[in-house]
Amino acid sequence: MTARTVIRNEWRLLMADRPLRIALGLFALLLVYALANGVVWTRFQERTVEVAQIGNVERAQALVRELADIENGAEPASRFSDPRLPNVLGGARGRHTAVLTPGPLTALAVGQSDLLPYYYDVNIYTNESSFHQNGEVESPLNLMVGRFDLAFVVVYLLPLLVLALSFNVLSEEREQGTLALTLSQPVSARGIVAAKLAFRALLVVGMVLTVSLAGILVAGDLGDPGRVLLWCAAVVAYALFWFVLAAWVNSLRRSSAWNATVLVGAWLVLVVVLPAAINIAAGLLHPLPSRVQMVTAQREASNEAVNQRSELLARYLEDHPEMAEGVVADEPGLGALAWAATDAVNRRLEEVTAEHDARRAEQIALVRRYRFLSPALLAQEVLIDAAGTGDARFAAFQSQVRVFAERWREFFVPAILASEQMNAGVLSDVPRFRLADEASADVVRRAGVPLAVLIGLLGLVGAGAGVGLGRVRGAD
Amino acid sequence: MTSHGIRHIVRKEFTDVLRDGRFRWCSVLVGALLLVSLGHGWVQAREAQREHAAAQSTAREHWETQGEKNPHSAAHYGIYAFKPRLALSFVDEGVDPYTGTSVWLEAHRQNDFLLRPAQDATAAQRVGALTAAQVLQHLVPLLIILLTFGALAGERERGTLRQLLATGVGRRDLALGKALGIAGALALLLVPAAAVGAAALVVGSPGPAASPVARAAVLAVVYLVYFAAFVALSLAVSAWARSTRTALVILLGVWVVNGLVAPRVAVDLSKWLHPTPSALEFARTVEREMASGTEDIIPPDRDALAERLMAQYGVERVEDLPINDVGAYLQESEEFGNRIFDRNYGALWDTFERQGVVHELVAVAAPLLAVRALSMGLAGTDVEQHRHFASAAETYRRDLMRRMNGDLTENSRSGDFSYQAGSELWESTPPLRYDAPTLGWVLGNRILSLVVLGGWLAGTILIAARRVRRAEVA
Repeated sequence: MTARTVIRNEWRLLMADRPLRIALGLFALLLVYALANGVVWTRFQERTVEVAQIGNVERAQALVRELADIENGAEPASRFSDPRLPNVLGGARGRHTAVLTPGPLTALAVGQSDLLPYYYDVNIYTNESSFHQNGEVESPLNLMVGRFDLAFVVVYLLPLLVLALSFNVLSEEREQGTLALTLSQPVSARGIVAAKLAFRALLVVGMVLTVSLAGILVAGDLGDPGRVLLWCAAVVAYALFWFVLAAWVNSLRRSSAWNATVLVGAWLVLVVVLPAAINIAAGLLHPLPSRVQMVTAQREASNEAVNQRSELLARYLEDHPEMAEGVVADEPGLGALAWAATDAVNRRLEEVTAEHDARRAEQIALVRRYRFLSPALLAQEVLIDAAGTGDARFAAFQSQVRVFAERWREFFVPAILASEQMNAGVLSDVPRFRLADEASADVVRRAGVPLAVLIGLLGLVGAGAGVGLGRVRGAD
Repeated sequence: MTSHGIRHIVRKEFTDVLRDGRFRWCSVLVGALLLVSLGHGWVQAREAQREHAAAQSTAREHWETQGEKNPHSAAHYGIYAFKPRLALSFVDEGVDPYTGTSVWLEAHRQNDFLLRPAQDATAAQRVGALTAAQVLQHLVPLLIILLTFGALAGERERGTLRQLLATGVGRRDLALGKALGIAGALALLLVPAAAVGAAALVVGSPGPAASPVARAAVLAVVYLVYFAAFVALSLAVSAWARSTRTALVILLGVWVVNGLVAPRVAVDLSKWLHPTPSALEFARTVEREMASGTEDIIPPDRDALAERLMAQYGVERVEDLPINDVGAYLQESEEFGNRIFDRNYGALWDTFERQGVVHELVAVAAPLLAVRALSMGLAGTDVEQHRHFASAAETYRRDLMRRMNGDLTENSRSGDFSYQAGSELWESTPPLRYDAPTLGWVLGNRILSLVVLGGWLAGTILIAARRVRRAEVA
């Protein structure tokens, strides 16, 4: 009896089983629905990104026109919004929206992209508190529940289908009395279970990967093979984990009912209870530092800075000799004085925030260690990281915006300090934000760790199943 | 057979359940999770409330000690408001991690609530947040299913159903006895948890008083109704299914749809039926309308206002006005802005609430959604109560701005930019006081969920009664 025979028979049997047929059909439907959802969300974000980028161009064009008019003798609308002033041109009027394009596979996993901001307006006043933003407009209720995307179907529902397909893969043969007969042929229990599960795995994984690839074709980026491979590897490893778990439980030679109970229990513990317990433990052992205290600290920092306004400019120029060119130290302009105060506030904010962020990073590093206990958390992490909707990509974007804001200030502040006026000519030199998106290799390197652990868990359970099945005899 | 018989059945079912190792383990697990999540929630809520109260009083101190300055500078300086945590929020943190915790109340702008705790956490923490409410909504029903799926189907498989009925036990008594036996076993788990919860409530969190005891009592009833509906549903399926296996598969299917599929489908449905604008679009609309108004909200005209004031006071020149026209103009601008904010933010929050109604309607297919809405409402952590506080904060901001502009108008003259007010003015503005909504207000928002949940209980009991009456004996 070859694997082919087993697989052919299995196909007939599966198709004869109506509830299973329904379950498979339902699963396919949910996959397609989840993908459609993800595609709608990707399109929404793409549109927003486009509007933001058009806004950048339109603002710049309007300023060029206005500056040209003023050069030709027109009066500026107000002396406070005169675009020749560097604090206006580099301020809210001339701001530049720095944009994070949707992750290459957002259609497959919404991840954190509905919660974290994916664009920031940058101007000379951008500071640490500018990063406190809410992100996309979304009802808190919807954020709390989360999206029905492919990642959700894979992490939560796929294991249930796998278990429904394989909880009685061996026990049923025994209960029907066919096991002894089958094993009298020149095959091992291991071989039979492997063939049966391989067939089922091919079916389930095939469905998920087909829909995933369709999604990538419709709304993703096939040009990023690293991410696509990561996604596929995570799906395969996670699905196989549940298959070998079922095989292992079957190798214990208990009844189908017992297998079902234990496997549902395992799903509950690994997918629902363990992540929750991990988070509670993490929250108790490593509480995140409070943002509320940070708000108070920031406020105090800026109060302090404003109160010392008079001494600030001298200190600022000491710290930034490169900005001092053209500033007459004896009679600084109002703009220079105001800027010195702004800068002092920013520096204090940075200190307070850096302290907070360092503590937060420490806690999160501790929290992240625990995820190795749950295959569901590992799979989720790899899936959203592959999609480009994980925490790391958003954090990287934020740091790039920080650097960009610094460049922006370096462009405009010398003119503020020197009380210079700007003209349309400088607009072509104004810094533009270019996203240096993480390379495929970086993502693979980062997500490789949880993926390797997931594969390790798979190997461990697989070995257990192999050993257990090796002991199964027809006479059981 | 009489109530005497029921008592036997109850006792038998109860002891059976307690002897069952699987149930013991599951109960220990669920009970432990319930207690841990209650404890964790309580510690967290108390800490958060303490911190918010401290931050609020520091914010007030900053306001009072901001030194001498022009009232309009003070208005720009503004004050922070921190959202208080209600006493029961330790049971159900609801949408709190996804709403901001603080808002800056300043001149000219209605700001968003910022600092969502969920933004600070990791994606993993978003997946597996566990509160007492989630244990009650997800895990206890699962426990009920595990306890009940074999109640009648099992007796039938073993052939004991025929025997039982032959002794003269009425079918209804049998089902009622089973249900009460299971309820008794559950009570062993739930009563201690409720006692711990009640103790935590009495020991207290310092949040604003909002009839916590009444809210807690209604909360307990809501969960009991939910559990009763699950017991009835499980009994009905157990009576109807041909085998215990079928009963279990069907009930697990119900559980997956109720807890996993329906809530997320409701999200998509709500967004599809009541779309929200993108944040960018929303911000640009507010920006545009603030600059040039709308058809019927016209931006204030400073010159026209000056003319009006001069006519009113009978003077020829702005300098001769006994008041400062800048203050009056600033106040007119505030009122103009307020109308724009009311229009935009009002529409947005209305959309959120309509989306919430979609979630409540989906509860017809999944009772979890009704219970969740009621639970968050009673715990004070739903979208409506966030809006309630946000409106209170905004009302306070508007009053603060009115006072600042009023002082500038009354106590200085047009063209005088050197006027400064001091701590007397800052101290004379009352601090932000917040009264959480009453129980009646909360339940008024949740009539739909109450009706749907009641419908579930009545419906499942009716179906169970019918299925038990028609159940095949073998």
